[in-house]
Amino acid sequence: MKSIDKWIKTILISLNKVMAYRFNFFLQVIGPALVFFFVKYNLWNSIYAGNPEKLIQGYNFKEMISYHSWALVVGLLTQGHSSMNLSEEIRMGRISTYLIYPIHFWQFHTAQFLAHQIIQTFICTLTLCCLLFFHVCELPSALFFFQALQLCFIVSLFWFSLQYFAGLLAFWLEETWIIRVILQTLSVFLSGAVIPLELYPQEFVKALSYTPFPYINYYPIKIFMGESLHLFPALLTLGVWIVVIWFLNQMIWKKGLRLYTGAGM
Amino acid sequence: MKTFFKYLRIYQKFVETSFSEAMSFRTSFILIIIMDIFFYASTLLSVSFIYEHVSTIGPWSKYQLLFFLSFMLALDQIHMTIVSTNFWMLSHDIRTGQFDFTLLRPAHSIFTAFFRHFRAPSSINCIVTFSLMIYYGSKLHLSFLDWVLIPPFLLLSLCLLCQIEFILSASMFWLVEGVGINFLRIQLQTLSRWPDFIYTYTTRKFLTLVFPLLLIGSAPVQFLYDKSKWDYILSMISAIIILGILLHYIWKKSLRNYHSASS
Repeated sequence: MKSIDKWIKTILISLNKVMAYRFNFFLQVIGPALVFFFVKYNLWNSIYAGNPEKLIQGYNFKEMISYHSWALVVGLLTQGHSSMNLSEEIRMGRISTYLIYPIHFWQFHTAQFLAHQIIQTFICTLTLCCLLFFHVCELPSALFFFQALQLCFIVSLFWFSLQYFAGLLAFWLEETWIIRVILQTLSVFLSGAVIPLELYPQEFVKALSYTPFPYINYYPIKIFMGESLHLFPALLTLGVWIVVIWFLNQMIWKKGLRLYTGAGM
Repeated sequence: MKTFFKYLRIYQKFVETSFSEAMSFRTSFILIIIMDIFFYASTLLSVSFIYEHVSTIGPWSKYQLLFFLSFMLALDQIHMTIVSTNFWMLSHDIRTGQFDFTLLRPAHSIFTAFFRHFRAPSSINCIVTFSLMIYYGSKLHLSFLDWVLIPPFLLLSLCLLCQIEFILSASMFWLVEGVGINFLRIQLQTLSRWPDFIYTYTTRKFLTLVFPLLLIGSAPVQFLYDKSKWDYILSMISAIIILGILLHYIWKKSLRNYHSASS
């Protein structure tokens, strides 16, 4: 019971922290997703110019915009930014405080991640309501909707563990934001966030199916669009990756802590 | 002329110290190069994949759009090399009060605030972006005059982009935490990275006349493709002059609003 209380308190503190810099949070998290959607909308609008019924790899204009609006929803739901400051905390010697806190470093950051998820789910709900109101996309059946939500939560966990991993590398590297940007660029391109995977060369897509990338965006988007896809391979692949990264993070933390000098103490 | 050489000497020192600083973190140096290459590849490949299924986007063929994108990537690379780090440092310096040292230096504060940090690894990647631009330009059989015009056009585009971003960054003096402005800046860059014709009429007019973001890339490239579109270049030069005056005024006002956090 005491342990749950600790988690709830940490989540509340994290929520307050985010809300204290609302403008920054909007520009950092919501802004990029909205601008990305705006550019994609305009790009596809100009591609389909005057011929919305034209089919491009099975997508007419309405379906293409629906794909990208669900990509916006998935992006907002899954791409957390909670471990952004993690590397700074290591580099500046601020993790010394965590060593005497009654909560472990990873627990603190996981609670922070959950706090971010709460806010992003709220923002995502508002965004989805707007998209539905303007008939940009349609809700699938309840089964598909909850399946996609379930997958989104697993994807967000995957992202969190990956970002946590990148942050922990600060024990060795001066700049870990570069690794985060590399991961982000790769995943946006390879997961079907920019264009649907149907538009990629077939051999390329076949190669991608051995990686977790298609499950990050393409799979949840297609399920949200009401397409029946096997959920099991997606859950299994992401699950295995999360477990592997979690063990890796434990190992890096232990090794890194031996190197840690506690600058500024 | 004397002032110009003075600033050139100061800038030479800035570049030298940035290079020696970057070389002491070699892994980061290499990772930045890899990161940029991933970014070019994803941008150009995405567009190439779309062109596998359509013949034109707006009025442009595949190589016309790829040349535009490589022009923007080259511009982006110069921008990243020369100024981008400074925006992040500015928000940090204002918050911590270290901006005092910028004000104390015997040079104009805009120069020391936005040109102090040179991103050495990105300068290496300029070779890649310029090669890409030359490759796609040769596919379009650009004339000799076009090739001669590209360097001054890149300079004009850089000038316009920097002015817009400097003005935007001035708002950091009014904020407690200015780092969000940098994310806004990046989003505006994303908007300018696409040709103006993809946007709807109202958006295009707004982003050309009121907030001249689309002139950064579209003005020079549209002129290169069609010499009758000289009004684009005229609008671009006018925007640079107007924003130059505006920047001077806003920067002065911003400095008056600066409360040194360390004092």
